[in-house]
Amino acid sequence: MKAVGARLPRYDGVAHVTGRTMYVDDIRVPGTLWTKALRSPVDHGDITGLDLSKAEALKGVHAVVTWKDVPLLEYGHLSALGIPADEPLLAKENVRYKGQPIAVVAAEDEETAQAAVEAIGLEIEERPALFDVRKAFDADAPEVHHWGNWYPHFEGEMDRRQIRKGSIEEAFEQADLIVQGVYRPAAIEHVPIETQVCQVVPEADGRLTIYSCTQALYFSMGVVAAHLQLPLNKLKFVGGTVGGGFGGKVDTATETMCSLLALKSGRPVKWRWTREEEFLCSSTRAPWHMEIADAVTKDGWILGRKMLTLHDSGAYARFSPYGLTKHSFHHTGAYTIPHLEFDGYVVFTNRVPTTAMRGFGVTSVSFAAETHMSRIALELGLDPFEIRLKNANRPGDTSPNGIAYTDPSTIPTIQAVADELGHELSAGYRTATSELRTGEWLPEHLVGQLGNPEAH
Amino acid sequence: MNLTVNGVQHTIESAPLTPLLHVLREELGITSPKAGCQQGGCGSCTVLVGDAPRRACLLPVATLDGAEVTTLEGLGTADALSPIQTAFHEHYAAQCGFCTSGMVIAAHGYLESGGTPERESIQTALAGHVCRCTGYVKIINAVAAAAGGEIEATQRWLPQPGEEAPIEIPGAPA
Repeated sequence: MKAVGARLPRYDGVAHVTGRTMYVDDIRVPGTLWTKALRSPVDHGDITGLDLSKAEALKGVHAVVTWKDVPLLEYGHLSALGIPADEPLLAKENVRYKGQPIAVVAAEDEETAQAAVEAIGLEIEERPALFDVRKAFDADAPEVHHWGNWYPHFEGEMDRRQIRKGSIEEAFEQADLIVQGVYRPAAIEHVPIETQVCQVVPEADGRLTIYSCTQALYFSMGVVAAHLQLPLNKLKFVGGTVGGGFGGKVDTATETMCSLLALKSGRPVKWRWTREEEFLCSSTRAPWHMEIADAVTKDGWILGRKMLTLHDSGAYARFSPYGLTKHSFHHTGAYTIPHLEFDGYVVFTNRVPTTAMRGFGVTSVSFAAETHMSRIALELGLDPFEIRLKNANRPGDTSPNGIAYTDPSTIPTIQAVADELGHELSAGYRTATSELRTGEWLPEHLVGQLGNPEAH
Repeated sequence: MNLTVNGVQHTIESAPLTPLLHVLREELGITSPKAGCQQGGCGSCTVLVGDAPRRACLLPVATLDGAEVTTLEGLGTADALSPIQTAFHEHYAAQCGFCTSGMVIAAHGYLESGGTPERESIQTALAGHVCRCTGYVKIINAVAAAAGGEIEATQRWLPQPGEEAPIEIPGAPA
């Protein structure tokens, strides 16, 4: 236990400051081919023609791969959890976002690969696109996805993530005031300084060695094995050195396509995305649309919360159902609200599929929940710290998904923030602890509702 | 044409308009300068040409005939870190490490040109270097410590087989 509490040097620090850390882009394999992708030039459309003959005939081109070359075309990022797949590795009949890969080329050098991409004959019939989650439910909205405009497979067949706790009607009847707010954090690109990159080497024994910048090595291994329909013992993944990920390197962006090119060409293959590709079509943090209506009392107790969330999943589901589920579990923030009615939808749009980023699903709802706490305080003329301490999670309170907290840290955290900012708390709040709520803290109408998991 | 990189003279075969970054990485196998954006926007390819930090991704190699180029490989080595490398290591200024080569080179150039520990001057010197991990505070701390003479070159004791690595870092901030 020498390491606990000690200030340890980074195990990789000396390699970093001497330039000796070996990232995927720094690996040198003789005979490596370069990869480029033909990407959808439109946000939404039907593919009516794809002619590879000129590209394949170009000198220096060793392989062109389309959907026809993929043993299992659709494999979802959550397939292993039994969630159905919806996204083809390479577009087949239609494209649903600008930059979606349609074909990939491996050639002697980057310029030849790019020339081959430009020589592919692509015909697309453009269709109307949808970008605003709020319009997805309109009768005349463009049809984005073959499942409909929102994800229909929660718990097998629910079209939303739904939470019901207590009686929202009762809370709204008892309320002195309803405080409403709409919160819309935008998409964020992770911008790792290392763009998506991989190097695949077909070995003489039939295995593939895959140098990957993935954040989730065994996960990527499963995805590649599934698409290629290969047993795991045919894949040797080498990873662990990630030049920035922040969630953006959880999705398997390049490894599967490069593996197909390596198998088809019999040559080592490398793909390093340009910064432009990274911005155009790497996954982003999702934009969220959140509407909150809280039933509150004049003295600052939150009795009930109604919430609607529209999670912009982009063109395919990927991890979004998981992200929205986490979001729903955290939608009261660090506070306990006895009556809840939450409805969340994973909405499809013609944007790049969205993914994890630092606190997947939770960061967005924390932003909304905290902003809303301050808004309630402002509308009631109460201290924003004290309203937080009042509604703070305490032992025995239950999360929106019914888990009892054993050691919640809301109260000491808010007190520490107040201290740090020099914010004067009134006596009761300064000395408040995380102990169970007492009668003096608890108004009559909340007796038996807070601090008692059995009440729900 | 000729190019001296980290004190070693090379005859360059690449086409005249090839960016210096490509020559270093692909022709000479010097991989510390990174291809982060190849548009001059991120700073991860920064090298010293003479004493000046330059973006290797935007420099056609033909403009550098006879020049002396220093990359991170040309500063200290693992068992003999230069002061700025020591500072980056001890102040945890390198996280994923991908921007670090460019950052350290730019900071080294700043120190060599008489840079002070003043934070605003350091920020100006490192402007255009993008780091997505650290939030820059530790990087600026490291450069300030080195510029303030708090950091000396480190002769590192490299553990021999069977020996345990030391846990304390001499000079690390409390």
